[in-house]
Amino acid sequence: MEFFIHQITEFGTALTNLALDPITYPYLICSVFLGIVFGALPGLTATLAVTILTGFFGNKFPLEQSLIALIGAYVGAIYGGSYPSILLNIPGTAASAATAMDGNPLAKKGRGGEALGMTTTASFIGTLIGTLFLLVFVWLLLMISKNIASPEKALLALFGILLSGTLMSKDLVLKGWISGLIGLAMAMVGLDPILSETRYVFGWSYLMSGFQVVPVLMGAFAVPQIMDGMRAAGSIGQKVDVGRIVPKVGTVMKRFPTIARSGVIGTGVGALPGVGEDVAGWVSYGVGKAVCKDGKDFGTGSVNGLLSAEAANNAAIGGALIPLLVLGIPGSPPAAALLGALKINNVIPGPTIDPGLIVHVVAILVMASLTMAIMGLLTARVFINVLRIPQTIFLPVVMVLTTIGSFSVGGGINDLYLMLAVGFVAYAMNKMDYPIAPLVIGVILGPLFDETFRRSLYLSDGDLSTFWTRPGAAILLSLNIALVLSQMPFIKRAFSRLVPGRG
Amino acid sequence: MEDKTALRARDFWTSLILIATSAFFLWQTTDIPLFDTQTGGVTSGDWYNSAAVVPYGIFGLMLLCALGLLAISIKDGGAERALRGAGIGWERAELIRMGCIAIILFFYIFALVPRVDFTICSALLISALIYGFHGGHHRRMIVAASVFSAAGLYAFLLHFPQSEWAKPHDDDWVTLALWVGLTIYTLVYHRDEYAIRIAPIMAVLVPLVLVLAMAFGFRQNVPNRSGLLFKQIEYHYYVTLKPLWAQK
Repeated sequence: MEFFIHQITEFGTALTNLALDPITYPYLICSVFLGIVFGALPGLTATLAVTILTGFFGNKFPLEQSLIALIGAYVGAIYGGSYPSILLNIPGTAASAATAMDGNPLAKKGRGGEALGMTTTASFIGTLIGTLFLLVFVWLLLMISKNIASPEKALLALFGILLSGTLMSKDLVLKGWISGLIGLAMAMVGLDPILSETRYVFGWSYLMSGFQVVPVLMGAFAVPQIMDGMRAAGSIGQKVDVGRIVPKVGTVMKRFPTIARSGVIGTGVGALPGVGEDVAGWVSYGVGKAVCKDGKDFGTGSVNGLLSAEAANNAAIGGALIPLLVLGIPGSPPAAALLGALKINNVIPGPTIDPGLIVHVVAILVMASLTMAIMGLLTARVFINVLRIPQTIFLPVVMVLTTIGSFSVGGGINDLYLMLAVGFVAYAMNKMDYPIAPLVIGVILGPLFDETFRRSLYLSDGDLSTFWTRPGAAILLSLNIALVLSQMPFIKRAFSRLVPGRG
Repeated sequence: MEDKTALRARDFWTSLILIATSAFFLWQTTDIPLFDTQTGGVTSGDWYNSAAVVPYGIFGLMLLCALGLLAISIKDGGAERALRGAGIGWERAELIRMGCIAIILFFYIFALVPRVDFTICSALLISALIYGFHGGHHRRMIVAASVFSAAGLYAFLLHFPQSEWAKPHDDDWVTLALWVGLTIYTLVYHRDEYAIRIAPIMAVLVPLVLVLAMAFGFRQNVPNRSGLLFKQIEYHYYVTLKPLWAQK
């Protein structure tokens, strides 16, 4: 209890400092607005919003201020994706795909305003639930993580890549793993972290420092979006009147159990390394369908269905920041972009992270979600009008933004070459149903895996049993093996025989 | 079902590329010492300390996964379709669209951004992309890609070496002329389209504001500081404008 009170006190101080600093508001309002616009425009994603802002703010402003911009855009974009999902049945971001299932039928019934209002409220409460868990669990995990040594870190990094590859695959799970391996392979380029041995530089001095995170992020997430989105696309066309948006307090209270349950599920899924807000939305939607009284109405315009998805995807933000801050392992693709911003500011997340920074992040999340809620409830019509902008007009601007953002991070013209090369490869991979998130997570976690894996072997004189004799390492190794085995066809067949009706 | 077979046909070719890539990098990894590692000039024979251990694992696993993918694609009929000449399921229309965008992005990043003023080449990019792709017409895509390629090829072929990136401005003028030509053409023939009418405004304002904000607001490096426009802007910023408020 004493610990909890201490946490709340620290958080209160950080929140007060943030709220009293006038510089907070221009950053917060602009970034949340930009985030909602990015989320609302189909073809632009939350990851892209955070990635582009990383290029602009990453190492040019004090980290505390950059984080306001990046987290504001992250929160805004995850929420903003609900607009086209509800009004156009086109998910603005992958995270809001489950939102469309019930949001659009509600809009077709003339209850679009109610859907948007409830979505805004659920997103706000969901973000706060995720933030509360972040505030409490990040410290507990930080205490535990002080006992985590190289073998556990290596296995956890591997688990993050494997899990991301497994859950993000739309086609064969093998493709997700290959994507993660390509990312890991890219991370091997340059001087190795222990002996400074050169690897795969092919005489090009630029590659000595390895692939930079920001151009890889821009290439992987921005270029394929631009290439894929430049087609004659549908927009809302004419003005849409959605009616009253601000929800009634009684309605919110009635739906609170659904919002709270979804918030907790979203936080839990978000905290899994490499698993994003989209998975959180779908898992919570599935659970809601199973436990809600009106579960059978899900997909036909159920408010509970809508809230199950929306509260969870925003709560996943707080969850995704837990492994990021505690272990340096991003919980979602936008969190990977956030990690890129921390890295170019020489902040190494993990057990040695500045505790003040964590409390600052939590305070920003609360302020950002409040800004999002106010904007969503009072200026929703502005964002509805944004939907009328065709992406063929917006995406060329994004390309120019991406180029200058990537150039200015530090590597100059070579970073642009890298960005485009990664972009072309990522586009081809997208076309063949390879998920891109595991590749990026592989690039980010590759150096950590390489260093900790070899250090473990070095400290044990090459004895591989170091990966199963330590209790933590043994659990993580078991999880890795179980994850791989669970995807093997013969294991799947065996399980389907055990489940009645599926044999 | 047809889509799945087309996907497996693509998987067949991808798996072959992945097998070749993994084999190539496994061979490249043999250049990294495995048993005679050196740390600070001291030789040690410990394999587990070598910089090659993890890459061997990664490319070995990639080879295994690629073989698995090859087996799946053959089993699901992808190989048969890929080898039969029925194609890998990409439509001609999509290939034209994708090819035109790829050409424009290639010349933008590899030819124009390093050699031509950023505002001018970005203006051409925005105009070409909006004109070429807004309506989804193939003819327009090809025209946009051709105009962009002309600017890109000129800069690429006449000023290929890095020593020539900054000095001569003929490529800036050529790009500017092409942008003006494209803009006039689109305004004359497609003025009734809203996107075409706002394209010139966006094409000038977006890159100009971005460059000014990055260079003089964020104090960051911007591409091609000696470009036709930026050189003049920078000169007048320091010589004409800055003394005005420095004197206060």
